[in-house]
Amino acid sequence: MIESIVEVKDVTVRINNLTVLDKVSVEVQPGDVLGIVGPNGGGKTTFLNAVLGNVPLESGEIKLFGTNLKRFKDFHLIGYVAQNAIQFDPIFPATVREIVSLGCINRARLGRPMNRSQRSEVEKAIDLVGLRNVADRKISDLSGGQKQRIFIAKALVRKPKLLIMDEATAGLDACMQDHFHNLLRYLRTEQGITVMTVSHDLSGVICQANKLAVVNRQLHYVPITPGFDPSQMLRDAYGEHFTFIFHHDHGSCAAPAPINLDADDGGR
Amino acid sequence: MVDLGGLFAYEFFQRAFLAGVCSALLCSVLGVFIVLKRASLIGEGIAHLAFGGIAIGLVLAVYPLYTALILALIGTLIISMLSRSRIVYSETAIGLMFSAGLAIGAVLATMGGGFSVDLYSYLFGSILTVSSQDLVIIIALTAVALVFVSIFYKELVLMTFDERSARLSGVPVVVFEIAFNVLVAFAVVVSIKIVGALLVSALLIIPAASAMQFSRSFKGTTLSAIIVGLCTVMVGMLLSFYYDLATGGAIVIVGLVVFALCVGVRKLFKLGKKQMAPDTICAHGMQEVRFEEPSKEKGA
Repeated sequence: MIESIVEVKDVTVRINNLTVLDKVSVEVQPGDVLGIVGPNGGGKTTFLNAVLGNVPLESGEIKLFGTNLKRFKDFHLIGYVAQNAIQFDPIFPATVREIVSLGCINRARLGRPMNRSQRSEVEKAIDLVGLRNVADRKISDLSGGQKQRIFIAKALVRKPKLLIMDEATAGLDACMQDHFHNLLRYLRTEQGITVMTVSHDLSGVICQANKLAVVNRQLHYVPITPGFDPSQMLRDAYGEHFTFIFHHDHGSCAAPAPINLDADDGGR
Repeated sequence: MVDLGGLFAYEFFQRAFLAGVCSALLCSVLGVFIVLKRASLIGEGIAHLAFGGIAIGLVLAVYPLYTALILALIGTLIISMLSRSRIVYSETAIGLMFSAGLAIGAVLATMGGGFSVDLYSYLFGSILTVSSQDLVIIIALTAVALVFVSIFYKELVLMTFDERSARLSGVPVVVFEIAFNVLVAFAVVVSIKIVGALLVSALLIIPAASAMQFSRSFKGTTLSAIIVGLCTVMVGMLLSFYYDLATGGAIVIVGLVVFALCVGVRKLFKLGKKQMAPDTICAHGMQEVRFEEPSKEKGA
């Protein structure tokens, strides 16, 4: 039984002689939604890149699914939506369905054609993010928000155990952000997917996550419990004053109610 | 009127036709990946190395396609090693190999003296010089390369689109990159007899660049590139035969005309589209989302 999906212990990352992350530690358990916030340049994306093995560690240790990152091979268990995913080559000729299908590729099935179940997962993912009516359109013809949803669908199609998203709601309109948060809740409650999400949408993160990490060279993380007030943590990281107003009549942010996706008409 | 039936009565043309089909197929398929990876120079670098290999073969009286293949493969591995280990940028590595191949060819050509006519046909291509032995090599290399691409098509598309995502999906990107460059070396050797070392990179670029003007899917682009490549090579070979032109030159000029036509048709189509009302779709729920103006797209 794996106790932690992600275990980061005293990790320091230096880039060009600059300490970007200084002895950060965090633990993400199965089913957690870890919201990661912090000022620009604070090291949020570097933190995710360290977890994904894309930047070398100066010191410390990272374990994924109980295995040291250096020996970890099962990257197919991780779905990843990059910060600048939508900034792809504007003349790249591919349809939405083709790009979402690429999410099915994994080490165990290299070179094998897609099977019926994978095709069905592709269609489900396209439906989940509300791109059904543009599935055969060229990706460069879509708006920024629609492009972002392609990459969310591509990450979901392989049914990941851990979903890592770097500012996945950037470029989404208010309606789609709402749809995205519903999707996040559905993934957590119905499919048990563990989520790590970086966002500048503080209220969105605090309402969806059960753990909050504030990154600004160092990392502080706390569980989000009913009545939790992140003002002091955020003030320490951003150097600005924050006042959070909670609407208790809308229910607790820390324990969101499961949603019925059938009632959601996202693009179908 | 062109008598195609009569033309195919010539054995040399039958061999040239088969070699041309192989070359068009392989270059068009690989070309789509090369163009989208913005690695168009790789074909140029490997082709010049192959030219050096041919000169070695002619001097040593060894079958030139073998020496061309060996030198092209060695160069491919050196390019991959230099760029992966970040000793130099990949285009610098290609430039180094490009110069090395041409320098070897030039030095050996002056030393060899007597093989300048043979060397000329390897530089610019000739439909008269495809032998049965050449054809066996050409068909074998084409078959191996096309089987590899058809098996690992998805993985190659993902690597072309987003290498980091490919790595996270468990694709061994370094192995695949080396394997892909080896396939490019195969394509160069396959095409060198028909198109010539100096022009082979055009056959890797032009069909893909033309297909990208009007295809919206990756699969569509690959199929269109194959059609453009086959038509270009066939028409170029016929022109070469009837007007006694250097085959490679004729093929590339036909290809450039096709590319210009594709760009022109695309521009006309866009002009017509601009005069229509902007397209709208219902992206989610009741909200209507307006498409971005197509003018944001760049030409290939």
